[in-house]
Parts: sequence; structure tokens; C-alpha cells
Amino acid sequence: MTMTRAPNPMIESMAEELVPVRPMTLRSGLLWVALAAAATIVLVELVEGLWHGILAGQASALFWIANGLLLVLGLAAATSAVMMSGPRVGNRHEAPKWALAAVAVLPFAALASAFDSGTMQSPLSDPYGLECALHGLAAGLLTAVALTLWLRRGAPVSLNAAGLHTGLAAGALGSVAYGLSCPLDGAMHLGTWHVLPVVAAGLIGRFAIPALVRW
Amino acid sequence: MIADEPTLARLMQQAQGGDKQAYTVLLTEAQLWLERYYRRRVPPAQLDDLVQDVLMALHRKRATWDPTRAFLPWLAAIARYRWVDHLRKVYRAEEDALEDYDAAEDSEEDAVLARMSLERLFVHIPEKQAEAIELVKIEGLSIKEASVKTGQSESLVKVNIHRGLKKLSALVEKAE
Repeated sequence: MTMTRAPNPMIESMAEELVPVRPMTLRSGLLWVALAAAATIVLVELVEGLWHGILAGQASALFWIANGLLLVLGLAAATSAVMMSGPRVGNRHEAPKWALAAVAVLPFAALASAFDSGTMQSPLSDPYGLECALHGLAAGLLTAVALTLWLRRGAPVSLNAAGLHTGLAAGALGSVAYGLSCPLDGAMHLGTWHVLPVVAAGLIGRFAIPALVRW
Repeated sequence: MIADEPTLARLMQQAQGGDKQAYTVLLTEAQLWLERYYRRRVPPAQLDDLVQDVLMALHRKRATWDPTRAFLPWLAAIARYRWVDHLRKVYRAEEDALEDYDAAEDSEEDAVLARMSLERLFVHIPEKQAEAIELVKIEGLSIKEASVKTGQSESLVKVNIHRGLKKLSALVEKAE
């Protein structure tokens, strides 16, 4: 260790004012996001009421698949955003890309199944579609705020990616949370209107959040 | 020879717990590491300021290091980030200089307004700190030149800038 150099007064000054800090670990960050997501589900229950058909076994297989994929995307993007608060040369943030690619299959599956069955209907003819998308987007707000606050405390160095992943996490987890109140479990409805909040929140996050977390 | 990764990680873990002695050693080692890291990428005249900037970032963001992970990749990420930021600032300064040359009257007026606004901030911090910040960060003097002009030692100029900027950052919204 090199200790022969004259002491730097700025270093002495910083050492003087040192106070203990609690490290921002991945675990504490994920717990923070989980609290936001749980609070969102409670709010959905209070405002909309959760769909009891889920527990009664009335939900279609596609309901589980769509919400499962959205949940995986939400977890992958949230984990990535939390990790970005602690920078590190060599960090890779690939998981959300693959999870997003998996979710992107849903709209294609919806269109393909509609063509196959010969009952092609425009998603715009869905009277509840826009409402579901907007409510799903709104349900992502708490997660977005939680992650943005976490990033502001942290030291993100990939600001655009941090914004995008925060948006994707908020959109996906919000869509899942609101989806627990939605009894419409058809391919077209889930594949379009429940995926739209992810796209919208991702875009909003990409362009709005970097300025909020710059340091 | 600079301390190795396990030693730095141990020192940082102790620093997060509030160990001032370990923190002093860590910062001294980090300073040496950063000087070497930047040596070929930063002009010698700007090296001290940039290393100081990263050390302050390390101080402010020390909670973001996860003790279960390596220390140097964390420090290197911050060093890169601040380096890019530094380059951006240098570029802006050059742009401003060109604009000053082309439109001297307008920029002079802008400068007066900016100085007025900064003067309002400066009345809230000690005179010596304000003087050090004004000379080095606004007028562009080196630490050495500021030291000669003010009669403060170079180290004291650095300390005054550090403490003054810290106070100013807390005053940005409050000072009127």
C-alpha cells in the first residue's frame, strides 16, 4: 500500500464527515419494488375489485400465459433497473430484452389466432380495450415512482437504459396488477390492450426518466 | 503499489460502517488508482480536478457499492461516467467561448446576469469559499493560480471549493 504521499486535505475533510451508510443491495431494492407492486394490487382491489373467477378456476390458459409473461418481464426489468443503481463495469442488462421479446409474441399470437378462426375483428372494436390499457398504465405509476426514487438515491451510469427498464417494469407490473381485476381473457384483448401499457410506459420511461435520475 | 481488490473491498466495507481511518486509506488509494487510470486520457492540467470530482462522487454515492460485489469495477464505472461528463463540460466551454467571440455584447450581458445570480448564492457561504469557487470554477484559474491570487495554500483552495460547493448545492433552491 502506498502511504508515503502527503495527506490530501480534501480526503481528510471527507473522512471527517463520514457517517455509516446502509448499502443499497439488490435484495433491498427488489423488496422496495415488491412493496410498490403489492400496494398497487391492494389499490386495484379497493378501486376495481379483483376478479374472483381467477381463484375459482374460470380464467383461461391464455390469461395465465399472458400475465405470466408480463410478470417475468416486469421482474426482469425491475431487477435490471435496481441493479443499475449500483454501477459496475461489466454489468450486462440483457434479461429484459429477451423477456420483452417473449411478451411481443402475444400480439402476434392474437392476430394469428384471429386469422385462423376466420373471425378477424379489429382490436378497436373491443369496448373495454382502451379502458384496460389506460388503467394498466396508471397501475404502473407506483412502481415507476419507487424505481425512480431508488435510482435517484443510486448512481446510475446508463441513464437511457435505466429509464427504459424502469418504464418497462412499471408497465408490465401495472398491467399484471390491473389484469387481476379484468375478466376478459381472450387472445385479442390480452394480446393487445394488456401489452399496450408496457409499450407506452417503456417509451415514457425512456424519454422522461433519464433527466430525473442524472447525477 | 496500489492496494489490491480484496483490500480495497474490505476498506470500503469498513468505510460504509463509518470507519474513518479505513476511509482515509481507501480514498488515498482510490486517488492513486484514479490518477493512473486517467493519466493517458486527461490533460495533466485537468487531472487533479477530475480525480477530485470522482472522489467526491465516491463519497456521495458510497452506499451504492454492494459489499457482495467487487470494488474496482464500481469505481471504474463512476470514473468513466464522470470522465464523459467532464468531456461534455469541456466541449460546452469551448462552444461558449466561440459564442462569446461572435457575440460579445450579448454574452457579456448574460455573464453579468449570471454573476448577479451567483452573487446572491455566494452571500450565504463564507467569503474564502466563495472566492475559491469564483476563481477556479467561474474564472477558470488553476488551483495554483488561485492559491497565489488569494494567498491560500493550494490544499486550502481545494478544501474551500469542496466545502463551498457542498453548501452551494444545498442552497441552490433556497438562496434568493
